[in-house]
Amino acid sequence: MTKVEIRIELKKGVADPEGRNTQKTLESLGFTGISKVSTVKLFEIDMDMPAEQAKGVAEDMCRKLLANPVIQNYKISVS
Amino acid sequence: MKPEDVKVCVIRIEGTNCEDEMAGAFEMVGAKAEKVHLKQLLGQAPADMRRSLEDYDILAFPGGFSAGDYVRAGAIFAARIKAGIGSDLKRFIEEGKPVLGVCNGFQILVELGLLPAMEGTMSEVPTAALYNNDSGRFECRPTVLRNDNRGKCIFTSGIKSKQMLSIPSAHAEGKLMSMDPDFVQKLEDNDQIVFRYVCPDGSDAVYPWNPNGSPSDIAGICNPAGNVLGMMPHPERVMTRYTHADWTRNPGPAEGDGYRIFSSVIESLTRN
Amino acid sequence: MAGLMVKRDVPFELYDVDILSADDEQLKGISSDMSLSLSLEEMRNIQEYFRKEGRNPTDVELQSLGQAWSEHCCYKSSKPILKEFVFGIDREDVLSKGDAGVMLFDDDYGYALRIESHNHPSAIEPYGGAATGIGGILRDVVCMGAQPIGLADPLCFGPIDKEVDLPQGIKSPRYLVNGVVSGIRDYGNRVGIPTITGGFFFDEKYTGNCLVNVACLGIVKRKDLANNFAGGPGEVMILIGGRTGRDGIHGVNFASTDLTSTSDEDSRGAVQLGDPITKEPVMHACFEVNAKHLITGMKDLGGGGLSCVVGEMALDAGCGADVDLEKVPLKEPGLAPWEIWVSESQERMMCTCKPENVEKVLEIFEMWDVLATPIARTTDLKRTRLFWNGEPIFDMDLEFLTGGPVYERPYILPETSSRSKEEFPELPGDKEVILSLLSDLNVASKEWAIRQYDHEVRAGTVVHPLVGEMNMAGPGDASVLMPVPGRFKGLAAAIGCNPWFTEADPYKGGKACIDETCRNLVAVGAKPNAFTDCLNFGNPEKPERLGEFREAVRGLGEIARELGIPIPSGNVSLYNEAPGGHHILPTPMILGCGLIDDVRKAVTADFKKAGSCVFLFGFTKDEMGGSLLFRKYGGKEGAVPDVDIPVLKRLMDELLQAMDEGIVLSCHDCSDGGLAVAIAEMCISGRVGAEIDLSGILMEDYRKKLYSESNSRWIVEVDGMNVTRFTEILGNDATLLGITKGDELRIKDVGISVPVLEMIEAWNSPMWKIMGGGAQ
Repeated sequence: MTKVEIRIELKKGVADPEGRNTQKTLESLGFTGISKVSTVKLFEIDMDMPAEQAKGVAEDMCRKLLANPVIQNYKISVS
Repeated sequence: MKPEDVKVCVIRIEGTNCEDEMAGAFEMVGAKAEKVHLKQLLGQAPADMRRSLEDYDILAFPGGFSAGDYVRAGAIFAARIKAGIGSDLKRFIEEGKPVLGVCNGFQILVELGLLPAMEGTMSEVPTAALYNNDSGRFECRPTVLRNDNRGKCIFTSGIKSKQMLSIPSAHAEGKLMSMDPDFVQKLEDNDQIVFRYVCPDGSDAVYPWNPNGSPSDIAGICNPAGNVLGMMPHPERVMTRYTHADWTRNPGPAEGDGYRIFSSVIESLTRN
Repeated sequence: MAGLMVKRDVPFELYDVDILSADDEQLKGISSDMSLSLSLEEMRNIQEYFRKEGRNPTDVELQSLGQAWSEHCCYKSSKPILKEFVFGIDREDVLSKGDAGVMLFDDDYGYALRIESHNHPSAIEPYGGAATGIGGILRDVVCMGAQPIGLADPLCFGPIDKEVDLPQGIKSPRYLVNGVVSGIRDYGNRVGIPTITGGFFFDEKYTGNCLVNVACLGIVKRKDLANNFAGGPGEVMILIGGRTGRDGIHGVNFASTDLTSTSDEDSRGAVQLGDPITKEPVMHACFEVNAKHLITGMKDLGGGGLSCVVGEMALDAGCGADVDLEKVPLKEPGLAPWEIWVSESQERMMCTCKPENVEKVLEIFEMWDVLATPIARTTDLKRTRLFWNGEPIFDMDLEFLTGGPVYERPYILPETSSRSKEEFPELPGDKEVILSLLSDLNVASKEWAIRQYDHEVRAGTVVHPLVGEMNMAGPGDASVLMPVPGRFKGLAAAIGCNPWFTEADPYKGGKACIDETCRNLVAVGAKPNAFTDCLNFGNPEKPERLGEFREAVRGLGEIARELGIPIPSGNVSLYNEAPGGHHILPTPMILGCGLIDDVRKAVTADFKKAGSCVFLFGFTKDEMGGSLLFRKYGGKEGAVPDVDIPVLKRLMDELLQAMDEGIVLSCHDCSDGGLAVAIAEMCISGRVGAEIDLSGILMEDYRKKLYSESNSRWIVEVDGMNVTRFTEILGNDATLLGITKGDELRIKDVGISVPVLEMIEAWNSPMWKIMGGGAQ
């Protein structure tokens, strides 16, 4: 079995209100010295296929559902 | 065709939640609206409940949080449609049948690649995105829209150019984005811009009148053929004057400002 | 204790608990080790019962009793008091007093109403706690067969505008506000029910124990009104919705004890996780099986989970039930039977149906992708019996199980605030006072929260929570819905509560809460029709707290009864105390519903134009006790505003008459901050000033005229050409104050003037500044 990790992050320059709000809330809880909070989305997908093939399938998953190329980048890692 | 012959498919999955008022809005302008679960179109229902998209004249995507808006707003609904009835839907649009997406419905149309669809009916991957409001919050508030369409969009065919309509918004992800630096210009050139947010006096919108930070104050766009409209604000919520936020101080006709969007499309279909 | 728990030789987790031989110490030990929250006396009763049964109980049976006998489930401390004062206000238009109350709406429809608390979970995990609170209250309405049409969420927190000392384990009020509002927003918006009204109450006494009350309204065709119990023996019980997991185990016991400084870590398991996207199809499917009359009863799984719902649905039909517990679908394998039996996992409901309809019912749930599993049968034996793959693990008399103890606990009547001991505070200039009252967080704009809630989904919201010019709006009194598409008949909803009055004089406070609710409803043109109450009080085992409870309930029962307005549903939340025994303000939260025959006649609180006449309607008295002015500037004692119930009745009738004739331009009730704040708010929402004169009010001290919070008062705007007719109807109950005019609030006879723009800024900005907002 191949474990695929797909990390969806916002493209550079796309504002991240969720990260910004989270930062504010953390600060309201008394945490100081936070310079930035970014939100990323992580999917872990177990696939019954060899790593090389899994990578290709994951690529397709990103294009068809998991990422919107207008705002998001994705990184696939296979183990 | 008479208005009562116009069959509207109001499509839903789990998490769709504005289907009652969407169906109600089409009924108010005389059409026959049916709320149809995607499973009914996919054949995953008892025989008497199965439906076929081609039997309808209009398709409407209501607002809500389809599939919880997990992954991205509208993405899961879009992926399921594409996989199941993508080609039926493409044919439906190519026959010129009207498709309306409001709020989450707009997000679904964008995720489906049906909007802006500058090349072809349906792009393989989305070419735009409806992204988080600049405020970072869900914004439920009155908004004023101006009809900036020059005549292409079937849903504004009965609305005067530059007419202002008070139609409320309620969303957290309504900022229209694209990678194309000439995006707005191209929309303009193709007459794809339908509604812009404006201030009540008609001047350019500033927050909160543009509640999401959409570039060029875009609130709604259509496809190049003009039969697919996506908009963030909710016309189905203002079919009567009495659901406008300010009706007790600004009386107007009993008909609400959303009414003309629905009556326009029915009038166009029944004109011949 | 280990020696008392004997694992039964079966291939699953089951213990027989040897209570028959246990002494008092061991009984107490069993209760605390199993987290039953049962007292020694209650444990002895249980011991006695099993002695008669001639066997020891299983862990499942004891856990079940812990649930059924909790304060939350059986109201053991509050029931005698509720019985004495508020039960039995009947009227023929009460259609049901089930999980939600249902009242007649029109010839074809009824409307449902219910409020409940979700305080303790929200104090630990504000986001999840508030969200699941919404989920629970929606289910209460759904299981009446009613489509939810509106949510209302009154909330109480510690101050967010100053730093407060936080006891160990207590979260900052600002964090709680943010979490609770986000939870309500995400759940309410996702499930597609508008959040139409609510309220924020800030006080240091809520710092350690915030209150999250959630209310829901629904609409149901009278022919589809559902029962919450089975139709008789031989029926099938079908468990609907989410799977069962370890989330929410011991939620009710948790709600029935004080918070402690370690509640934070200990009780995480007691806060459930909600899933609005499961709820939405569950609702659709339930409506469908109900409208097709395929089921005989429906009930939500709330506190106590299966352990409560199975017994109640059976017993209310005069039946018992046999349950195959292994059939319950689980989130994860390995749950012990007792965990399954008492789990409070969210998004679950139970329905009963005749055996011949099971297949049709399951088909509908399948269509909606909702899990539905037959797990039990009703029997003609009044016992609940549980089996695990045939092995009997539970067999108890239902009346014993659900009977529960009832206590007449001792109480001490509280000392009340009096006029004779009044100390009027030093005040700065009146302009400063007015601006500072407007910016007090108990008065200031809640737009920050309101706009995060979708208050218009379902397209039936006629009077919105904010009124006035678009995007510049001021405070409304009640929200009005058009629940039936195509009909102009309206349902209004408003919150009324004054915890400060209730603390200073619980009896008058209880009356004032109802008065305020009525004022709010009448201010939009609706006739008060029914109330639902959430009574949030402290530890009933402390006589002072129980005395407050008793007096407040007496007050609200008296006024509801005299007005002839029923309370078809309600909820009691006791043990609201922070670590160290700091108790909350006694908080009887009222949600009132009113009917309006034609919503097109609804009135809003914003001044409509310059040049119209402004009246004070009702009577201002020297009643400064508990007032915002005293709280803000350190006034002491003073008479708490009382209600003259016959006068209230007369005033409501007169005002509704004037509104029905269409001669009221705007109307707003006088509450926190008195007449001064009420007029200021109407100027704010109407963006117009007013020029008034207080000499028509008969009292000496003008500051009492301005800031006294006497009940049963409204400010009314009337066009000059209608004044004759208006005064014909209202007679001497209305006092002309002046006219709307210019861009200042001017109080001529005492030389006060405050620019409207300054009032807008003072009222509008405080919460935004604290919670952050606007586009950045």
